[in-house]
Amino acid sequence: MSRVRVALLSITILALAAVLLAPATSQSQSPHASQTPKSGGVLNMMLREDLSQGFAVHETATISTVWPAMPCLNNLVLFDPLKKTESVDTIIGELAEKWSWQDNYRNLVFFLRKGVKWHDGQPFTAKDVKFTFDMLREAPDAPAKLRINPRKDWYANVEAIETPDTFTAVFRLKKPQPSLLLMLASGYTPVYAAHVPPADYRTNCVGTGPFKVKEWRKGEYVEYVRNPDYFVKGRPYLDGLKYFVIVERGTRQAAIQAGKLDVSFPGETSKTAAEQLKKAVPQLVITPASQNVADNIIMNMKKPPFDNLKVRLAVSHAIDRRALIQAVQQGGAVGGAGLAPKPWGFWGLAEKDLVGLPGYGAKPADDKALAKKLMAEAGVSREKPLKVEIVTRAIAVYVDMASFVINELKQIGIEATLKQIETAQWHAMATRGDYQIGANLTGIGPDDPDANYYENYACGSPRNYSQYCNEEVMKMIDAQSQELDAKKRLALNFAIQKKLEADAARPILDWKLDYFTVWPHVKNLIPHQSIYNFGRMQEVWSDK
Amino acid sequence: MKTYVAQRLVIALLTLLGMSVVIFALLRLAPGDIVDILFSTAGYVSPSEKQAIMKELGIDRPYWVQYVDWIRQMLTGDLGKSYRYDQPAWQIIRPLVPVTLELAALSTLFAVLIGVPTGVISAVRQDTTLDYVLRLFSLAGLSMPAFWLAMVIILCLVTWLAWIPPLSYVSPFEDLKLHAVQFLLPALAVGYRSSALIMRITRSSLLEVMREDYIRTAWAKGQTGRVVIWRHALKNALLPVVTVIGIEFAFLIGGLVVTETVFNLPGVARFLVQAILWRDYPIVQNLVMFIAVVVILSNLLVDMLYGVLDPRVRYGG
Repeated sequence: MSRVRVALLSITILALAAVLLAPATSQSQSPHASQTPKSGGVLNMMLREDLSQGFAVHETATISTVWPAMPCLNNLVLFDPLKKTESVDTIIGELAEKWSWQDNYRNLVFFLRKGVKWHDGQPFTAKDVKFTFDMLREAPDAPAKLRINPRKDWYANVEAIETPDTFTAVFRLKKPQPSLLLMLASGYTPVYAAHVPPADYRTNCVGTGPFKVKEWRKGEYVEYVRNPDYFVKGRPYLDGLKYFVIVERGTRQAAIQAGKLDVSFPGETSKTAAEQLKKAVPQLVITPASQNVADNIIMNMKKPPFDNLKVRLAVSHAIDRRALIQAVQQGGAVGGAGLAPKPWGFWGLAEKDLVGLPGYGAKPADDKALAKKLMAEAGVSREKPLKVEIVTRAIAVYVDMASFVINELKQIGIEATLKQIETAQWHAMATRGDYQIGANLTGIGPDDPDANYYENYACGSPRNYSQYCNEEVMKMIDAQSQELDAKKRLALNFAIQKKLEADAARPILDWKLDYFTVWPHVKNLIPHQSIYNFGRMQEVWSDK
Repeated sequence: MKTYVAQRLVIALLTLLGMSVVIFALLRLAPGDIVDILFSTAGYVSPSEKQAIMKELGIDRPYWVQYVDWIRQMLTGDLGKSYRYDQPAWQIIRPLVPVTLELAALSTLFAVLIGVPTGVISAVRQDTTLDYVLRLFSLAGLSMPAFWLAMVIILCLVTWLAWIPPLSYVSPFEDLKLHAVQFLLPALAVGYRSSALIMRITRSSLLEVMREDYIRTAWAKGQTGRVVIWRHALKNALLPVVTVIGIEFAFLIGGLVVTETVFNLPGVARFLVQAILWRDYPIVQNLVMFIAVVVILSNLLVDMLYGVLDPRVRYGG
């Protein structure tokens, strides 16, 4: 073949590529401001993995299921999608039109909406509510059983669910628990249809929600269409939603940059990534929001050396929280204790209250010196260092944090080697207590103390990876749960958080922030202080 | 010929049987508790839940029973049920197969279209500037991993054109042009690397043939360069090239993981990796068997092609 022919062949291939690409590159974004909601349009969103267990929200504990399943379902109550803050004051009714606490917070009565239909046309009644919550609390006479029930503990205080009539449901509690309402308002608490076997939600979704599943192409996308029979008149605004499964992070970022996607994945965008996106596409709207996810250290208290409080406290003092936030999170996190601090959360200790807690000393050197003193008291010195294995999930955000921690520990005489655990084996390993010390992330559904404490710090809870058990703290946790006075409850929570840090129960390193990114034409999609609760999409509209 | 093919098919069946044992055993030898892994997103599975799930999935039975059951299912065309999706495995695997086959075929086509002509030119113009340039071109292709090239393509597209290919599979019956765009870029990224290998094999093989007596005779007879190179030399130099093409195609069926991931193509390789991470036995076992079948068939096809290209090749009966 002559040189001319080779050149011609090359030109032909390039020309073919150019011709094929040309029409596709002509997409443009031209947002224009308008505050009156418009109907129509389809929102394109991303998923970083396919739906785990389909739409069966009650059988999973991951944002990868909750986020794409929420548009199909409804709760009794929900945190107002239009308000950033989640508290008892921002709860609105969904399937419940009204609700009322009775008998000094022992009975929670829901008055249900009439005329609501499931996506298959069946009417919604109190029977569905009883079915769902009897199943969740594993009542002896529950008509169905979940294959896995990760949030059973949330309903441990529910004694019975009664349905005096077709549109009233009463939750009878063993003891007062005002925070139950907050857990019922989480994205993790949808109502299932009583006439649909729970297993069916793994493959399809029969909900009452604003959108109906059109197609779920496994490993590829989930597509929704507007539910024309939705019980809120005029909602949803959008004609449809499409969630694309994109495993590769670089492709996800490129897709949002190119305008193929309208919205980032909750909890996905770091500060650095957000800055890169903003530089490339200045019109993108980036909102810093809480993830309600904390970096923390788990230490196995059932095995030496971390059964020794001095060693645990030394570890906690050794880790300079402020340095970690700057070095590992590039400033995309905030300091805090057991619960997210204001304004990112409601219950957490404020910056001023953190002073004096391990890792928050005015001078990091003082914390390190105290840590060394504690280690010396525990019999560890430079000549006789403590050798441990630190485990973490084989995911970049975990490994980066663990690497920082290893360096900090080295400075107080702890020589730690890193062991990365595959994601799929992580929770099981931690629950079994098959580790010495670990670098962990903990996500909490609603920003409520009960949801956090009973799961992560209560004696015997499988998610209490450190196996921490303090009867005094348990009493405090129960007391705050039953406290009806909001101010007193807040004060109790401050005390609990300080006690947990003083016991080095699960030293909290920081609370991560998400830089939630949307194109400017996406309206009314407001990130909350927890990533698990704002995916309903009922109020979202497109100004395209 | 028929006897040879029959013999090869019998050997292929035995190979597949061996493969089935290996993949079945390897999956069970992988560390970790399958229920913990499958349901890791739930955070914690209690012992009683675990027991019930193992019974439900049929993995509480002895291994040999599970193996025999799987083979029986395959023979009856039933691939079992995906653990993760709770749906027949065939329903999940079926849409993946054409995506990977098309991408592998297109990549191989690009590899041949680029590799063979550049290899011939490089051999014919040995030690000229053009030869050096083409060798550099092929060396670059061999040195650049496909995943890196794929990511660079995506980044260039988004930076310069503010555009990337479709995020989900576009059927050719739905939109032929968009379908072509979707496959063109990944196929070029993968094909470039494969073309480098083909180019180097073509060049060295052709150089060897060009030194043969019958080529000198052809030149002496006064035949044109085109006839000597394309009819006499290249045809005889193609045997190793065909072998490499066959191997590359077979490799691509299972080796497109990163390309499918970066370009977000819902193919076999990307899905297989996910299924392995979830320990979704029915999906993994059947996808690996599919890849094995393709590899065996492409090897058989290459062997058949030897006879077409070189009449001296005889198939033993």
